[in-house]
Amino acid sequence: MAQRNHTTALSLKNVSKSFDQQKALVNANFSVDWGELHALLGENGAGKSTLMNVVCGLYTADDGQICIDGQQLTIPDPQHAGTLGIGMVHQHFKLIESFTVAENVLLSCGDRIGISSIGDISKRAKEAAESIGFSIDVQARISALSVAERQRIEITKLMLLGADILILDEPTAVLTDQEAANVLGLLKRLASQGKAVVLITHRLNEVTEFADHVTVMRSGKTVIDGVPLEGLNRSDLATAMVGEGRDPLESALNQTSSRTAERPRLKLQEVSIKFPAKKHGQERLSFEVFPGEVLGIAGVGGNGQTELTQALIGLIDIESGSITVDQDDLSNASITKRRQHGFRLIPADRAGFALIADLQNFENLALTKVATSDFGGRWWLSRRVMRQNAKALFQSSNIRGGTVNSKTRLLSGGNAQKLLLARELDTEASVLIAHSPTRGLDIRAYSAVHDAIRRAVKNGAACLLISEDLDEVLTLSSRIGVMSREAFHGPFYPSEISRSRIGELMAGHV
Amino acid sequence: MSNPFELMPRQYSPFWLKAVCLISGIAIGLALATTLLMLNGVDFKGIVREFVLYSFISNRGLAQTISTATPLLLVGLASAIVLKLRFWNIGIDGQAWLGAIAASGIAIYDVGDPSFRLLIMACAAIIAGAVWVGVPVFLKMRLGVNEVISTLMLTYVAFLVAQHFLYGDWRDPSTSWPVSVTFDESSERLQRIGFGHVHTGVWIALGCASLVSYLMLAHRFGFFLSAIGLSPKGARASGLPVPIVVILTVLIGGGLCGLAGFVVVAGQEYRLTQYVIHDLTFSAILIAFLARFNPIAVVPVSFLVAGLFTAGETLKAFYQLPLSLILVVQAIILGSVISVEFFSAYRVRIKVSGLLNRQINEEQSRQTSQQ
Repeated sequence: MAQRNHTTALSLKNVSKSFDQQKALVNANFSVDWGELHALLGENGAGKSTLMNVVCGLYTADDGQICIDGQQLTIPDPQHAGTLGIGMVHQHFKLIESFTVAENVLLSCGDRIGISSIGDISKRAKEAAESIGFSIDVQARISALSVAERQRIEITKLMLLGADILILDEPTAVLTDQEAANVLGLLKRLASQGKAVVLITHRLNEVTEFADHVTVMRSGKTVIDGVPLEGLNRSDLATAMVGEGRDPLESALNQTSSRTAERPRLKLQEVSIKFPAKKHGQERLSFEVFPGEVLGIAGVGGNGQTELTQALIGLIDIESGSITVDQDDLSNASITKRRQHGFRLIPADRAGFALIADLQNFENLALTKVATSDFGGRWWLSRRVMRQNAKALFQSSNIRGGTVNSKTRLLSGGNAQKLLLARELDTEASVLIAHSPTRGLDIRAYSAVHDAIRRAVKNGAACLLISEDLDEVLTLSSRIGVMSREAFHGPFYPSEISRSRIGELMAGHV
Repeated sequence: MSNPFELMPRQYSPFWLKAVCLISGIAIGLALATTLLMLNGVDFKGIVREFVLYSFISNRGLAQTISTATPLLLVGLASAIVLKLRFWNIGIDGQAWLGAIAASGIAIYDVGDPSFRLLIMACAAIIAGAVWVGVPVFLKMRLGVNEVISTLMLTYVAFLVAQHFLYGDWRDPSTSWPVSVTFDESSERLQRIGFGHVHTGVWIALGCASLVSYLMLAHRFGFFLSAIGLSPKGARASGLPVPIVVILTVLIGGGLCGLAGFVVVAGQEYRLTQYVIHDLTFSAILIAFLARFNPIAVVPVSFLVAGLFTAGETLKAFYQLPLSLILVVQAIILGSVISVEFFSAYRVRIKVSGLLNRQINEEQSRQTSQQ
């Protein structure tokens, strides 16, 4: 490890950055010492990632100073950041999907550590992974790995490069409780070895449980600058994060859903799904969802959740078994037919499977209903009616940051999700399939999404909630199933199962 | 850090900016093209005379322009709809060839009653054009074959099919040249409308433009089309009939190209020769791009592009310049329009990297002075 002259590993002073006149950072300050785990907390869009992207050389600050180990300098590009010992795991991983793990590691680390053969890099990558308690399959293709597995590759890469200042952008957003705890434990260990670790997050639990110091950002400014966690409580942090006058935790106090009918709405019998990218699949899934209830499915990402949602909406075929809705067999029905039966989808990949970024907002709001002649008729499409309808939905769903005529691309994640919910949760929604509906959203958007789901369920929809966020599953669901790599467990009533038992099932301990 | 410019994607580009970019792109293109023509010995007055006065204002030139615009309008529409779908049909010439061949076959073999002959020729041309592009769309959807290659290659096949007939059964027996017999004047030719060479094909083309505009702008089909073009996955998950829309659109495009072939042989040439179809693909793509894939805008744009060809013909006659120079002019205009479009998508700034360094220097000098 390099010679250190200073207790402060990294400090940023009065850093500003704007994009096309949008101010992302306004005189932001931040500093982290060697040997600490420092949490950088803030809502989505608060400027956390932008600030750290300045540190790792992806963005150049418009103004301000950067000091590494007491030395003032500029970081023109990521390569230079690498030589300074700065390593970052981005929220959206920088991996090439069609390459294997070893090829990816070679591509991003090979030059810097002087290795040019796949064999050598495989060995080194395995060792690096094992040294921090992972085992990785270096020959697997990235496209076949789950998000959690991909993250391990990214962390392994930093270890190989010998980074001393580690920055992780929302590392736990896609992990289960246990996995998140593992990763955070690992970060804590690395900090205790003397590295400076920056944890970008919007989860209060992680901050209070694991971090040494916390910096809170709001709207591009630093509102709490590097305060030790002793003496701070969750509500102080939450208030700093979202500003005064709102109670960000109010949505946590709520009642769970309950079924309103005797007959199940959605019924899966012995459904088997094959995963295109992997050898295994989910075998013989059976469960029922009743009107008025949320059936939550917990589990680590990458165990078939995406495939299950796609099979339910009709994007992929099921191998065997049957899917029925109110006794109509829809096992082989088209997406259009399923939607006519009231199937509605909130996919995890909102940009890929639900909203079309370059359409205007009113067009996205009408997308699924154009075929049903709500707007004009068979021979005429009335954009006027589409706009009117969109305006009403904008009002009722409180969508901000755009007009009905602006492009959906320009909406923030939370507002785009509100837009999607406004479209999907119409009066005819009878089966709602929601996959990680709050992933990456800030507290306000989070509760707006949950409120919308609760409202839909109250109106008689049957909701299947598939989420990697166990808190979310526990908050919303009246029954809980667990999907692990090997099997599907449950569904259980909350009284039948404890949180730790769910964790065990998720991790594959039966 | 040697590059002093910084590019930033725009969050939003206002309508006026897009318009300014389009107009200045065309203006720059025209200026460059003028320079090129002047370097080739055409004086500025001559350029204005041929390109503006003759092509668009004189009766003879205007008639010539309108009649050239007729097939261009059809292929421009075809290109606009399939490009909106991101289906790269590079085989527009091939589909037009097939249309021309099918229409000629009907005329040569006198298929059907003479009073319906033109209608049968038109239908045969539409079907032939659609079939010719049907092969690439089938291959793409079934086997993932890239349509750029398959449509382009089928153009050469289409030309060889035409040669096969012209050097074979369809060769005019009276002259032995590789051209077909001329079509029957009363039943197999599109009638002139009384303005130079302009024939009733222009009504057919305008009718198609109205129909396509209705489909694209006022019917749900056009909405599906733009959604699918932007995100096939998203459109499919939203329950849109993706395969049907894709296949129908591409076939309609092929049919329009076939119809363009029919218009050329039945309205201008009155027989099949080796030269009836040429250079349609590039012009079609140019027209679609300049019209921003809007079928209504395709009408004036194809008229303007046809004017370039009219001017090219007179340049050929009076200045002995090759007609391909007009393709170069088109390429320059398209190139400059697309280049200037860059400024509506990005904001360019002069980099402020110096600022950061300067401040650091100031800070350091302040610290030293304090010491």
